[in-house]
Amino acid sequence: MRASDVMLGGKVAVICGYGQVGKGCAQALRGQGARVIVTEIDPICALQAAMEGYQVATLDDVLETADIFVTTTGNCDVIAAEDMARMKDKAIVGNIGHFDNEIDMAGLKAVPGIRRVNIKPQYDEWIFPDGHSVMVLAEGRLLNLGCATGHPSFVMSASFTNQVLAQLELHAKAESFGRNVFILPKRLDEEVARLHLDQLGVKLTTLTPKQAAYLSLPLDGPYKPEQYRY
Amino acid sequence: MTQPTRVPFKVKDLGLAEWGRKEIRLAECEMPGLMSLRRQHAGKKPLAGARIMGSLHMTIQTAVLIETLVDLGADVRWVSCNIFSTQDHAAAAVVVGPNGTAENPKGTPVFAWKGESLEEYWWCTKEALVWPDGKGPTLIVDDGGDATLFVHKTLAWESEGEVPSFDAKNDPEEWGVILDCARAELAAHPGRWSAIAKGIRGVSEETTTGVNRLYQMAKDGSLLLRSTSTTPSPRASSTTSTAAGTRCPTG
Repeated sequence: MRASDVMLGGKVAVICGYGQVGKGCAQALRGQGARVIVTEIDPICALQAAMEGYQVATLDDVLETADIFVTTTGNCDVIAAEDMARMKDKAIVGNIGHFDNEIDMAGLKAVPGIRRVNIKPQYDEWIFPDGHSVMVLAEGRLLNLGCATGHPSFVMSASFTNQVLAQLELHAKAESFGRNVFILPKRLDEEVARLHLDQLGVKLTTLTPKQAAYLSLPLDGPYKPEQYRY
Repeated sequence: MTQPTRVPFKVKDLGLAEWGRKEIRLAECEMPGLMSLRRQHAGKKPLAGARIMGSLHMTIQTAVLIETLVDLGADVRWVSCNIFSTQDHAAAAVVVGPNGTAENPKGTPVFAWKGESLEEYWWCTKEALVWPDGKGPTLIVDDGGDATLFVHKTLAWESEGEVPSFDAKNDPEEWGVILDCARAELAAHPGRWSAIAKGIRGVSEETTTGVNRLYQMAKDGSLLLRSTSTTPSPRASSTTSTAAGTRCPTG
């Protein structure tokens, strides 16, 4: 929230979607003292959110009362122009999903009599004809990279090391894959994680041969079956 | 008809390169995975012969990725995958390179700046996909699938012989920009995109949205590229990225 400079502590923040991105957003906002409410379509993710202690509601229930709205769904049409019209004055609206179709910016622009006041780059106040306004981050595009500088280097190192490994695999033997989508093997995933342990002073525990045999695991991994979810 | 001269790169200001280089130097210390790949492959150039086009937020962290790919022997061209996500000092430092100067840049061609228009965004994507000799990439690093989409669409429209017209009432504004960009390109360079598509051996995709797009294309049979093999980053679902504010790889 470098763009808005508002205090997050005590504010009510609505996170639309509790997938990987929503989970991280909820954690970050809670860490700043915001009261987080989650919206979800998936009963499993909804239950996860509830068990983490977040209220799970529909957007419709909380439009008039929340201070901050963040879309994290990867889906289209999550917050409509009429939703924004119902929000409280100076509510902050942003998206952290990849594309800019989660918040209906075209619909907002098309509201008769609406005015846009640019506060600074990637931070706009949209004033409805009745005088109340909503604050939109990065024109509805990825707010963490539009209004700030994205993830820390360390996290991106893990992700980008996979990219380089994928490029090496493809360069060496793309033709053996065929036209399809492939996921890097878990063995390489573990290797990437391993490369990042020293920097954080992590000391791994090693399996004894008896323990490895007990779980039918190779001593040096991979340690989890393909279907395992971390 | 003479073609307008192409520019070798386009960023906001090469004068920002020194600032970018300082931040890249610090980021390298925080990116042990990438740096260990550089050490592991030192002098071996396992990516020699690869032409890699990247469409992924042009940040300081991405600069370390680009320079790792170059260190491993690849010939690289880069754009951002979002009109607002470029850090202009990172883009400048990559163009200048570790051994160049603003007056004599020796780095990697980048076409990206913070605050592109949609027209500029798709121009950048197209420019990065075409090497100075007219060849395309052998590999793509994609984030969200825009580079993959552009190659697929231009190839399909080139094969069909026409670019569909824009339906202003139902299509999003950006679709019209893509159509215009492709239309101008196909008229100026007939045959180019079939050749480019044939040369692409694979794509690695960074984010969930892009992987979804690829699965949809694989499912409905529209994945046109020969051996478009994709190895999405498992970071999105693994614990190693939970230290971040969000758990999406770049989002």
